[in-house]
This record gives sequence, structure tokens and C-alpha cells, in this order.
Amino acid sequence: MDINTKKIIKNAYRVTKKRGVTALRIRVPGGRLDVGCLDVIKNIAETFGDGTVHITTRQGFEVPGIPMAKIPQVNEAVAPLLAGMESAIGVEIADLNHGYPAAGTRNVSACIGNSVCTFASYNTTDLARKIERLIYPNDFHVKIAVTGCPNDCIKAHMQDIGVIGMVLPVYDATRCIGCEACVKNCLKVSSGALNMSNYKVKRDHQRCLGCGECVLKCPTSAWTRGEKYYRLVIMGRTGKRNPRLARTFARWISEEAVLKITANMYGFIEKHIDRSLPKEHVGYIVDRAGLPVFREEALQGVGLGPLGRVEDYIPFGGYENR
Amino acid sequence: MGYVLDGQSFDGLLSQLSKEYLIYAPVRISGKGAYSDTDLVAYGQISSLDEIEYNEKSRFSPKELIYPITQTLFYFTEDEYKEPAVSQKSIIIFCRPCDVHAFRRLDEIFLKNGDFRDSYYEAIRRKTVFFILECAGSFENCFCVSMGTNRVEGYAALLRPGEGQVTCDVDEHFAPLFARYGKPAGMTPRFIEENSISVILPEEIDKNIFDHQMWQEYSSRCTACGRCTVSCPTCSCFTMQDIFYEDNPRCGERRRVWASCMVDGFTELAGGHGFRKDNGSRMRFKVMHKIYDFRKRFGYDMCVGCGRCDDVCPEYISFSGCVNKVSSLAGEVKKDD
Amino acid sequence: MTNPYRPFKAEILSVLPQTGIDFTFRLAADIKVESGQFVEVSLPGVGEAPISVSDFGPGWIEMTIRRVGKLTNVIHTLTPGGSLFIRGPYGKGFPVDRFTGRDLIIAAGGTGLAPVKSIVRRFYKNTAELKSLTLLAGFKSPSDVLFRDEINIWQSCINVQITVDGDDTGEWKGRVGLITKLISGLPKIDVQNTEVIIVGPPVMMKFASQEFFKKGIPEDRVWVSFERKMCCGLGKCGHCKIDDTYVCLEGPVFNYTAAAQLTD
Ligand SMILES: Cc1cc2nc3c(=O)[nH]c(=O)nc-3n(C[C@H](O)[C@H](O)[C@H](O)COP(=O)(O)OP(=O)(O)OC[C@H]3O[C@@H](n4cnc5c(N)ncnc54)[C@H](O)[C@@H]3O)c2cc1C
Ligand code: SF4
Ligand code: SF4
Ligand code: SF4
Ligand code: SF4
Ligand code: SF4
Ligand code: FES
Repeated sequence: MDINTKKIIKNAYRVTKKRGVTALRIRVPGGRLDVGCLDVIKNIAETFGDGTVHITTRQGFEVPGIPMAKIPQVNEAVAPLLAGMESAIGVEIADLNHGYPAAGTRNVSACIGNSVCTFASYNTTDLARKIERLIYPNDFHVKIAVTGCPNDCIKAHMQDIGVIGMVLPVYDATRCIGCEACVKNCLKVSSGALNMSNYKVKRDHQRCLGCGECVLKCPTSAWTRGEKYYRLVIMGRTGKRNPRLARTFARWISEEAVLKITANMYGFIEKHIDRSLPKEHVGYIVDRAGLPVFREEALQGVGLGPLGRVEDYIPFGGYENR
Repeated sequence: MGYVLDGQSFDGLLSQLSKEYLIYAPVRISGKGAYSDTDLVAYGQISSLDEIEYNEKSRFSPKELIYPITQTLFYFTEDEYKEPAVSQKSIIIFCRPCDVHAFRRLDEIFLKNGDFRDSYYEAIRRKTVFFILECAGSFENCFCVSMGTNRVEGYAALLRPGEGQVTCDVDEHFAPLFARYGKPAGMTPRFIEENSISVILPEEIDKNIFDHQMWQEYSSRCTACGRCTVSCPTCSCFTMQDIFYEDNPRCGERRRVWASCMVDGFTELAGGHGFRKDNGSRMRFKVMHKIYDFRKRFGYDMCVGCGRCDDVCPEYISFSGCVNKVSSLAGEVKKDD
Repeated sequence: MTNPYRPFKAEILSVLPQTGIDFTFRLAADIKVESGQFVEVSLPGVGEAPISVSDFGPGWIEMTIRRVGKLTNVIHTLTPGGSLFIRGPYGKGFPVDRFTGRDLIIAAGGTGLAPVKSIVRRFYKNTAELKSLTLLAGFKSPSDVLFRDEINIWQSCINVQITVDGDDTGEWKGRVGLITKLISGLPKIDVQNTEVIIVGPPVMMKFASQEFFKKGIPEDRVWVSFERKMCCGLGKCGHCKIDDTYVCLEGPVFNYTAAAQLTD
């Protein structure tokens, strides 16, 4: 059997333990899909695979047990998924009948977000899809996830770029009955950014995480939701070399800024990647090039707005396995 | 007298009224719900028919218009107490039948209970006119029929908003003005005669019910958040607060601010001593106030059945459900005797 | 419209420390007070609090104020010539007329002595008005004893018994023990002709009243005074409400039979 493994890997297949047998990875941007797609996935698994699917950590599906020889037919069978989950959200797929056009940049995953979750500050599915539109298809090895609030259920802290929802709490002192529910709760579950003064609440913006817990706790709507903002945590990773959690790069920035920084990151990779390696993960590129270089290039043309704040220095930490 | 006004005429009427009145109605405030991308329905000033949110119950009642959440009673320098000036304008409040009945309960406390009339409440209350929004249907959790607050008599105006028009039944005072903007029309007010929820009110409550184990359930369920009392149109409790200005500590204000018997600190005395520390006993205290204590004092029940307490409880505690439990127990306790 | 929340300014005529934390303030105020009533005392920008009128006379009232927090801390810094703001009096006091011709026993715990001081002062001189007057007072320690000077004077005319829970000074020559001991130690009471006043912390009132019942005193001859959080004194703020009763209106003094019906 003569198969170009480099090519099938970029086509979202992989080399498996069993010779001649592959597995297909299906992206689900934002982790939300129409159940109609499940029928397609089921059909591929039954027709070409071993009748099972594996649910991936990145909220995709992996269909194992596919004979490599069947790849062209599988790619045709994948067309409705590409149409339904990629083209439908505005991702440009040149040819629907040739399977996934790239696999380096992983599925953009998302927590359930504000369509369901009370804590969420925004619609995570929508943002994940916007990001997918911006960055896919792409072969660079990048992991992105978006999460509705600092609870970080999607584990944005394990990503190269993790987007965390924030909301600016707006306070109407005349509606406040001084019950202190917000103050106690902020101290208990969040950052301790609130305290009472003259029977009313004062918020320390430097400490505030924008989690919206105060808004949720307030019985009178003295706290309400203001503008939506985002925090970006960057360069978190698992893996063999120096695993670590992502750290905050920017906070109180707009969705527009999130998208622009993400796009700029791809420019940064393009410019600094070590092409002698089979692949280089963006985190290691940043380690090599240095945060100041990344910072400058990532922020090019980015409007930070009056509240936006970017870190000058990030003590990444993590640990070395060697 | 009945009139029908199209949207534009109604807005003309509102603009005419606004010369003399501040006009408030339930409005939809976009994005101001506690959860993201949800709205808040609450009272706000309006200048057009479109602004009135007619199809959803307001989370907060109109009581805050007459009895503000934070109200300055005095401004002071070191030895002078000055009352704040009250706006000269009268007020029109568009509200539901139950809410009008709720004001009668507030009147009972602020204007009658004890030997003194609350001058702050009275100053605004005496200038207030209610325009009733006829209920097209009973909302979730409403039980006004059980409380006898579904009908209103002697209103200034009653409105039935419909497709691009409003049909109104108006008293003599407002009739000429409505006649100017609308056309005469037949209008027989329709009141809600049935809610999906009904409560049975206990006539007599044996003291045993106060200590009954039924309240223990609420000790673990209720979080003492106070939403039920804040949203209730009949809750009237407040706390006094004296503040001084940070930039001039010699001057300050005495304010009153809404308080809630469900929230910590309501009964706290010097030395940390307090009563009803446990949330189940607070629930009992609130429920008894609404359906028993008030009646013993004033001859009718405090609760008007608007159902807002149930609408807003984050723990899905049902007040009406609790009242029915009390009633069935009251029946049992009676049988045992 | 009169504003029932508007206080008037009252000059401080004298300040008499009773203990380290209880000071008696005499104010120039021309108000008609009944024993057991209270006033709302305030300082602009600091706060307002209900305080019992401990004594009164023509043109003056006295209050004995314990330093426990925001407002009372500042009040304690004031000196004669300064002023406080007051409104009131509020509430129902003791049914003093009912006591005439009878044996009156007053049991007071700690600062509970303040609201009954004026009753003692009225009757100790006019003992003819009563058949007899007995004052039992319990304090935490010798340093907490209130109205020492007055007690010394009263002792010459009426039966006064003072006890302390514990002696931290080593110099206390009086009784040590709970006030309930004083009650049980009383000689035979003419139960048909005795009225009892009990004022003090809730626990003290509970046990003291039980002690009197053991002696055969009927419940309806016992009078108690309640302390509840109060923010208005006018029946508006709701804090003092117990069941359908507003302590600021129907109390703070209650007949025991009424008080026993209230469930917090
Ligand atoms: C009818 C009545 C008569 C009273 N008579 C006297 C008296 O003769 N002498 C005296 O020293 N005290 C008396 N008190 C208690 C007095 O009102 C409080 O000690 C006072 O309010 C404390 O105020 P503050 O600002 O100094 O303390 P804060 O800083 O307000 O509070 C200290 C503590 O007192 C509690 N507290 C707040 N408001 C009240 C209130 N209205 N009543 C009771 N506790 C409260 C607080 O919850 C807190 O735990 C009386 C109370 C009542 C209801
Ligand atoms: S991260 Fe926040 S918004 Fe997302 S599911 Fe978790 S709690 Fe909800
Ligand atoms: S929860 Fe709301 S009402 Fe309570 S203290 Fe905070 S802002 Fe004020
Ligand atoms: S107790 Fe509940 S139903 Fe009754 S008036 Fe208040 S909010 Fe409405
Ligand atoms: S239910 Fe509670 S908060 Fe409401 S009026 Fe009664 S005591 Fe006040
Ligand atoms: S709204 Fe519900 S949880 Fe909150 S205080 Fe009322 S009953 Fe308790
Ligand atoms: S003190 Fe306000 S109601 Fe009694």
C-alpha cells in the first residue's frame, strides 16, 4: 500500500495501530451541532468504520476503523458535514467532496455559553464560529477555545488562545438595599473586588474579574450587565515539553480585539515558525521569539478601548520533563 | 366612558398628559436581565404606547415609584435637617389590577398604622393616578382571583391595548382629554376570572402551625436572598441609614432604604443577638404576614396574588404552594382539636 | 403635612458616667413621657437609635446609653452644652396607675434598669402610693452596676437587692448569683395584690418570669419590656414587628399574657 501519510494527516485522518486502517476526525466548531449531522456521522461509522465513534477532548468526533483505501469515498460522505458545520457558518471550503482541507488548527471548542448557562456572559457558540471562520482551514498547529465566564468550563487555560467572557457590572446606587449579597459572594466565589462604604457598594476595577456574579446575586437589579468584554489567556499547553496553564495576556478587550489578535497570531507564526521542524507548536515559537515580540505583533492594529489592558510580562511557569 | 385611540393619537395624548404628569409604565429594558442577553421588565418613564411592555409581567412592582428603594429623608449640615424638595408634577402609573390593590396595602402602613402618617409617602401618593392595564390573560404564577384583587373599581382609566390601538374606559375627569384624541367606543372592562393557580386562605391559624415542621423544608431551600420581598408590591419594610459625604464629612443625608425580613440582619441587635436566624422561620414570618398577621390588624389580606415572589425565587420556592400547605395543615389542626 | 421623622435639637445638660460603657445623659426637652417609653435619638450623619427614657421631669429627660456601636460611640464623646436630636416619645409605657395601692416588685437585668428607673424614683418617695416596692437588680459584675448613687438613696426607703453574676473586682461585698435567686428568695408574696415588672435581656426575662410564676404570681400581673431592632418608632419600618404586633406601637411594654402569644 502506498499512501502519503503527510497528506492524509492534513486531511484529518491519522495513522493508527492497525496497518491500513485510519480514523477520521470531525470538527464541530463551538461544540454545537444540528442533530441531523449525527445521522451523517452514524452513517460514516456504520458504512466505513467499526460502528463506533469516539468523542474527542476538543468536542469533535473521531470515527475509527476506516480502511485507508476507503478515504476517497469517506471524503464524499463527509460533504454534508462540511456543508452543515463549516460552509453554513461562513467558512470557505473550496471543494466539499475532498474531506477536511486542513487539520493543524484544531476544532474551536466552546462551553455551552449563554444559550443555557446562567453564568455565561455571551454566546460562546457564535464566537467560536466567528473564530472558525477567521482561522480555518489552516495547517498551523493551534488550539483555541472560548468559555462563557471565568469558571472556564471549557478549560481555556489549556489552549494557545483561550477566550474568557467578561461583563462590566454597572451599579445603580439608588437601587441598592445594602444587603451585601454581592459583596459576600464576590469574596466567597470570585475576587473580593467589592466592599461596602457608606451603606453602598464600591467596586475595585483592578480586582474585578468581570464574572457577573454580583449581577446574578443582586435582588434589586442594582447591578446590571454593561458592555461585554473578554479576557485572553495564552500559550497554555499539555504535552511532553514544559506543560503549563495559559496566563492572562489581555483583559477588558472587545470581541473585535479578540478576533484581531487571533488573526495576528497566525501572522506571527508565519513569520517566526521554524520550518526545519515537521511542525512547531505556537507556544514554543513564542518561547523562542520572546513575549515582547509576540506582544508587539499580536497587538498590531488592535484597538484596546478605554478599559483594555495588556500584560507586559507573563511568568508562564509550568515544568520541564527533562 | 369608552374611547378608542390609535397608536399615534395615544402618543399625542401621552404628550399632552406629560405636561402635567410624570408617566410611568412597565417597560422592557434591553440587556438588563440578570442573565446575559436577557431583558428586564420594570417600571420606567414612557412617552409612547410602544414603550409599554404589555405582554410580560414586570419583575419589579410599581411601588418603587411612590416608595423609592433609596429615599433621602433629610439633608443635613451639622445642626440643620432639611427635607428634599418634592417634584411638583403629578404621576400617572400604568399598572395591573393587583398592583393597584397593593397600593391600598401600602397606604395602610404608611398612612394609617400607628398615630402618624408617613409624609414622604403621602407627598407622592396623593399626586398619583392609576391607569389600569387590563390583563388579557393570567400570567404564570398569578392568583389574583383567590385574593380578590382581580377587579378594580373607581379607576381613572382602564386600557385594553390591541393591534395598533388602545380601547379605554375613562372617568369623568379624563374623559374630555380622551375624547379629544380618540373616538367614542363601547368598552366593558374585562377582568381575569380564573387563574391557573388558586390558593385557599386559612381562616384561623393555630399557634401550632408556627412551630410546625413544615417550615424546616424552607430552612434548607431558601437562601435568604430577599428577591421575593423586593419584588413584592406590598412589602414595605425599610432601614434607616445616615451617611456623610466623603468630600465633606460635616454634611450628609439620612436615608431610608428598603429592607427585607428574609435577609440577614433584619432583626439584629447590639451584641449580635437576633431573631429568626433560620431561613425556615423567616419564610414562616413572611408568609404569615402576607396571609394572616396583616388581616388580623387591618381586616383583609396583604398578599394581592401577583405571583412575583414565585416568578423571581431562584430556588423555585412557591409562595402560593406554601400558603396551600398552611391551609391544609390549618384544616388538619382544626380537626385534631 | 407634618414630618414624623423630623427630630428636634435638645441640649445636653449633663453627662454622668454610670459604668465604663453606660453614660446617663440629661437633655433639655419639653416632652410628655410615660415611664417605659422610648425616643429616637440621632446625630446627623451618624445614625438614629431607639433609647428608653430612663427618667424625666419638667423640661428634661434622661437616657442611659450603652456604648455598643456607630451612634452610641459618638454620643459618648459629647459633653454638656452639646446637643442630640430626638423625636418621640414613642410606644406604650408601664401602666403606672394600675400599680397604686399594690405591692410592686421590679426585677431588672443590666441596662434593663434604665426604662424602670423613673418608676422607682416616683414611688420610693411616695411609698404611700404603693403598698410596697421591691427592686431586684442583677448585673454581670460589680463594674456594671448602674445608678449607684440613686440605689444608695433608694435603699433607705425601699427594699433594694442587688446581685452580680460574678465578682471580678474582689471588692464586692454584696450578693453574687443570678437574679432568679433573688426572686426565689423573696418572702411570701401576696399574689392577689402584687404586680411585677421584669426588664432585661430575653433570657433573663424568660427565667425571671418563670420564677415569679412558681411563686404563684398570675401571668397577667407580670409586665415585660421588649427590645427589638427598630428603625422608625412609628409602625412603618417593620423591623420590630412580631406576628401582628408592632413593638414600637403596642410595646415595648407588654403584659406577659400578650408577650407570651408572640412568636418571633
Ligand atoms: C425600645 C428600645 C429601647 C432601648 N433603650 C436603650 C437604652 O435605654 N439604652 C441603650 O444603651 N440602648 C437602648 N436600646 C438599644 C439601642 O437602640 C442600640 O444599642 C442602638 O441602636 C445601637 O446603635 P449604634 O449605632 O450605637 O450601634 P450600631 O453600630 O448600629 O449597631 C451595633 C449593634 O446594635 C444593633 N442595633 C442596630 N440598631 C438597633 C436598634 N434599633 N435596637 C437594638 N439594636 C440595634 C446592630 O444590629 C448591631 O449589632 C434600646 C432599644 C430599643 C428597641
Ligand atoms: S465557563 Fe462559565 S459560561 Fe461556560 S459553562 Fe462554565 S460557568 Fe457557564
Ligand atoms: S446585592 Fe444588590 S442590593 Fe445587595 S448590596 Fe449588592 S448591589 Fe446592593
Ligand atoms: S406575596 Fe407574592 S403573590 Fe403576594 S403580593 Fe407579594 S409578590 Fe405578589
Ligand atoms: S414580608 Fe417581610 S419585608 Fe415584607 S412587609 Fe412583611 S415583614 Fe416586611
Ligand atoms: S426569593 Fe426564594 S430563596 Fe430568596 S428569600 Fe425568597 S423564598 Fe428565599
Ligand atoms: S420601629 Fe419601625 S415599625 Fe416599629
